[in-house]
Amino acid sequence: MAKRKILKVFFAAMAALGATSLWGCGQERADRKVEVELVSYKPEAVAAFEQIAQRFNETHDDIYLAVESPNEAMTILKTRFVREDYPDIVGIGGDINYSNFLDAGLFMDISDFEGLAEVKPSYLDMLEELEFIPTEGSYALPYVANAAGILYNKDMFTEHGWTVPQTWSEFLGLCGEIQDSGVQPLYLGYKDTWTCLAPWNALAVGLADSDTCNQVNMGNTTFEAAYRETAEKIRVLLDYAEPNPYAYSYNDACTAFARGETAMYPIGSYAIPQIKSVNPDMNIGSFVFPANENEADNLLNSGIDLQFCVMKESKNKEAVYEVLRFLYEDATIQIYLDDQGGIACKEGEFALPAELEDMSAYIRDDRMADYQDHHYPSEMSVDAMIQTYLLDQSDSAADTFLQRFDTDWKRYNRDLIRKVQEYQQEMGGAR
Amino acid sequence: MKKNKKMSSRDKTYWAITIPVLILFFTFNTLPMIKGFVYSFTNYRGYGTYEYVGLRNYIDLFSDARVGKSYLFTFKYALAGTVLVNVLSLVMALGLNSKIRFKSALRGIYFIPNVLGGLVIGFIFSFIFTYILPAAGTALHIGWLQNSILASEKAAWIGVLIVGVWQAVAMNTIIYISGLQTVPEDVYEACMLDGANKWTEFFKVTLPLVVPFITINLVLSTKNLLMVFDQIMSLTKGGPAQSTESISYLIYRNGMDGGQFGFQSANAVLFFIVIVAISIFQMTVLGKKEEQL
Amino acid sequence: MKKDTRINWVLTVVLILGTITVFFPLYMAFIIAFKQPSEMTNDVAGALALPAKWSLDNFRQAMEVTDFWHSLGNSLLITLGTIGLAILIHSVAGYAIGRSMAKKKSFRIIYLYIVSGMFVPFSILMMPLVKQTAQMGLGNRLGVILLYLVFYMPMNILLYTGYLKNIPAVMEEAAGIDGATTWSTYWKIIFPMMSPMHATVAVLTALGTWNDVMTPLVIMAGTGENTLPLAQLNFQTQFGTNYNLAFASYILSLIPILIFYIVCQKQILSGVANGAVKG
Repeated sequence: MAKRKILKVFFAAMAALGATSLWGCGQERADRKVEVELVSYKPEAVAAFEQIAQRFNETHDDIYLAVESPNEAMTILKTRFVREDYPDIVGIGGDINYSNFLDAGLFMDISDFEGLAEVKPSYLDMLEELEFIPTEGSYALPYVANAAGILYNKDMFTEHGWTVPQTWSEFLGLCGEIQDSGVQPLYLGYKDTWTCLAPWNALAVGLADSDTCNQVNMGNTTFEAAYRETAEKIRVLLDYAEPNPYAYSYNDACTAFARGETAMYPIGSYAIPQIKSVNPDMNIGSFVFPANENEADNLLNSGIDLQFCVMKESKNKEAVYEVLRFLYEDATIQIYLDDQGGIACKEGEFALPAELEDMSAYIRDDRMADYQDHHYPSEMSVDAMIQTYLLDQSDSAADTFLQRFDTDWKRYNRDLIRKVQEYQQEMGGAR
Repeated sequence: MKKNKKMSSRDKTYWAITIPVLILFFTFNTLPMIKGFVYSFTNYRGYGTYEYVGLRNYIDLFSDARVGKSYLFTFKYALAGTVLVNVLSLVMALGLNSKIRFKSALRGIYFIPNVLGGLVIGFIFSFIFTYILPAAGTALHIGWLQNSILASEKAAWIGVLIVGVWQAVAMNTIIYISGLQTVPEDVYEACMLDGANKWTEFFKVTLPLVVPFITINLVLSTKNLLMVFDQIMSLTKGGPAQSTESISYLIYRNGMDGGQFGFQSANAVLFFIVIVAISIFQMTVLGKKEEQL
Repeated sequence: MKKDTRINWVLTVVLILGTITVFFPLYMAFIIAFKQPSEMTNDVAGALALPAKWSLDNFRQAMEVTDFWHSLGNSLLITLGTIGLAILIHSVAGYAIGRSMAKKKSFRIIYLYIVSGMFVPFSILMMPLVKQTAQMGLGNRLGVILLYLVFYMPMNILLYTGYLKNIPAVMEEAAGIDGATTWSTYWKIIFPMMSPMHATVAVLTALGTWNDVMTPLVIMAGTGENTLPLAQLNFQTQFGTNYNLAFASYILSLIPILIFYIVCQKQILSGVANGAVKG
C-alpha cells in the first residue's frame, strides 16, 4: 500500500519536472538584437531599473538591455563568476568587493569611455584609492552615492530650538542639552555589529586620512596612530545613547527613531526608507558628523553606492558603451534618484533629497571622503572588533583594540601587503 | 553447497544496489570535498586567481584566536544541547506516544518550531529576549533578567541554546516516536501482567528496545548542534564581542562572504575530522551497549 | 489482544499546557503578519496587541511579490521529488548495506564512508559544486534534487540501517527458501515493513529541503526559477526588511509542510497497527 502510494507521488513529481523544466535556454535572440545583460546588486531599485530598461529598449532597435536585480546579489555574482558565466555589466558598490574583483582581473578598462570626464573628481579619487595596486586604467563608472552622518528628528529640533552642530564640542553640548530636556539624544543599534561602522566611518573620514589603509599597507603609518582619536570619540557616544545598546538591533533603532524615542540616530541615508515605513510622515534631516573642533576639517562621509563595471569577458563593447551612455544621461540618472534618493556622482544640477539638505554645501564644494570600511576585508570583521572594544570596560581598552587592529590587519592582508610592497620595490627599482 | 550459491546471488544483488549509490555519493560529495581539500592549500578567494601556499592555512588555524574561540563555543553549545535535546525529546516522544487525547493535533503543534524560517525565529526570539524578558525581569525584580541575555558576552550562548533546543526537539522527537513504534504492544501487555510499574517498564523494557534510536538521535543531534548555523545567523550574528561565533558560522561568513575561502576550507577539513572522530566514538560506545542488550 | 483504552488525562493537560512554548511565538508571528509597518513598535504591550484591523491584504500582497503559486510549485516539485527518490533509493541502499555489514568488512567501511559524509560542512562543497553542476548541465531544479539526494543520504542510511536492526533476517530467509529473489523479497516484504521509517525519512528530508535557501540560491541562480524561500528573500534588503509581508509569506509556506507532516505521522503510527513489527 505504502509503496504504491509513494511510487505514485514520485512519478507524479518526476512527470511534473520533465514537463515544466526548461532544459537550458538559448542565448541567441530571435530578433537579432545584441543583448546586453546588466546585473544590479540593488534589489530595492528593481522598479527604477525596469523603467530605465524599458526606455532604453523603446529607443534602440539594435540593442536589447536586460536588467536583473537578484536577491543576495553578491552571492549570485560570485557563484556566476565561479562558473564563468559573466554578464556584460555589473552594478555594484564601490567597496572591498570591487577591489577584490578588480584584483582578480575580472573588469574591462573603460578609460576610453567619454562619460568618465563628467564624474565628480571626489568619486574618481575614491575609485583610485579602492585599487590595491595602482592601475593605469579606469574600471568603473560611479553612478550614485549615499551619505552617512547623523539623522535627526527635524520637528523635535524646531520644537526645542536645537540647531545643527558644526564642531565636536558643539555636538557634545547639544547632546547634553537634549539629555537635560529629558529626551534621549542618540540611539544605537549595536546588536547588529555592522551598525557600529556607521558612526565609526562618519568620525574617521574627518579624523583620519582617506588613504589610511593604503598607507598602512605601504608601511608608512599604523592604525594605532591613525585611529586613536576615532576610537576615543566613538566611545563618548555611549554616554548619550540608550543603556546597553548591544541589546538593540538596527531595526529596533530605526523603529525607536521613527517613533520619536530619540532625537538623533547616527546612521547613513540608506536607513531612511526603513524609518519611513514605520512613520511615513516623519520629517528627517541629516548632518555631517562634526568630528573636529574646526568646522573646516570636517568631511562628509559619502561613498559610491552604485557604479557600473564592464566585465572583461563581454563581447559587445560597442553595445555596452551605448548602454553606459544612456545610463549616464541626466534624465536617466534622475529616474533612479527619484526612486531611490541619493547623490548623483555626475557633475550637474540634480535635485537633492530633502533629507540631505544640511549636507548640500559639502556636496557642492566636493568636500567628501569615502567610507573607511570600504577598504576593510570583510573577513576581518572590523564591525565586531569595534563592538568588542566598546564592550570592554577596562582602561586599556583602546590600546588593546588598536593593537589588535594592526596585528589582525597584517594577518588578513598579508598577501596584499606583500603585493603592495613588491610593487613599491618594482617602482623604486624602475626609477 | 546450495546455501553458498544462494548467498552469493544475494551478495550480487547487494553490490548491484550499492555501487550506483556509491558513485552518486562520490560524485556530489567526495569529489567536491577533494576539491575543497585542494583549495585548503591555497589562498583562493572563491573566484579569480590564486596561489598555493603550502601548509600555511593549517599552521594559521592553530594560532588564530578567533578559530580557537569558535571551537570552544561550539563544543560547549553542542555538549549542553545534546543532553537537553535528547532528554527532552525522549520525554516528549513518550508523552506523545501514550494514550492521550488530541494526539495528532499535539504532535502537529510540537512539530511547528522546526519549520519556522530563520527570519521569523530571529525576529521573534530577539524580541522576546530584548523586550519581553527584561520587562518581566523588571516587573518581578529579577536582576539577571533585566538585561537582554543576547547582549551579554557571558550569557548570549544560552539564548542561542534555548532557541536551538526548542527547534531541535521537534526533529528528534519524531525519530524517538518511530523508535517507540518498534516496541511491540504485547511486550507492554506482558509487563502489565507482571505488575511492573511505569518506571521499571521504561528502564527494563522500553529503553533497551529503543537503544538503536538513541544511538541515531545522539549522533544526529550532536552533529546538528556542532554544525549550529541558522540560530547564530538569525539571533546574534556571532556577537556580542564575537562570543557566539560557531565554527560553521565562521566557515560560511569568512569563506563565502569574505575572501578567506582557502583558509576556511582548511578549517572545514579540520572540523570534519573532529566531528567524524566524535561520532565514531559515540557509535562504538553505543554499539557495544546495543550488543550487550 | 485487548487494547487498553483508558486516556491519560493528566498527561494530556500537561502536554496541552506545554504548547504555550509553541503558541506564544506563533501568536506573535501571526499578529505581525496582519499588521501594517506603521503599527510596528518596540514596546511590549504594543507589540503583543492585536492588529488595528484584520485584513488579508498582507497575505495577498505577499503572494503577489513571491509569485506564490509558481514558487510553491517549484518548492513542491523539489521537495516531493527528493522525498520520493530518497525513500526508494536510500531505503534499498540502507537495506543492502545494513544486511551485509554485519558479515562483511567491506560493507562496514562503505557504511562508515557514507555516514561520515554527513559531517562535511556545506560551505566547503559549495564552490566546487557550483562549478561541477554547471559543467554537467545540472544548474537547475533537477540538479538541486540530485544534490539533496546526496546530502540526505548519510542521515537516511543511518536511519534505515538502524531500523533494520529490529527486523529479523529470518523473514527474508524464509522467502528466499520459497525461491524469491533478494530484490523481490525486499520490495514485497521488507519495504512495506519499513513504512514507519519511510514516513520519518520523508518528514526529516522535507524539513531540510523545504526551508533551504542556500542550495537553490547558488545552484539555480540565473535560471529565473524560484522556490518559496528564495522568493521570500524579496522582503529583505540590506538596509530594510518588511517584516509584515515576510511573516505573512512565512505563515503561508508553513501550511503545506504542516499538512504533509500530519499525513506522514499517520504512517508512523500505522507501523504497529499493521502488525508488521513483531518480534
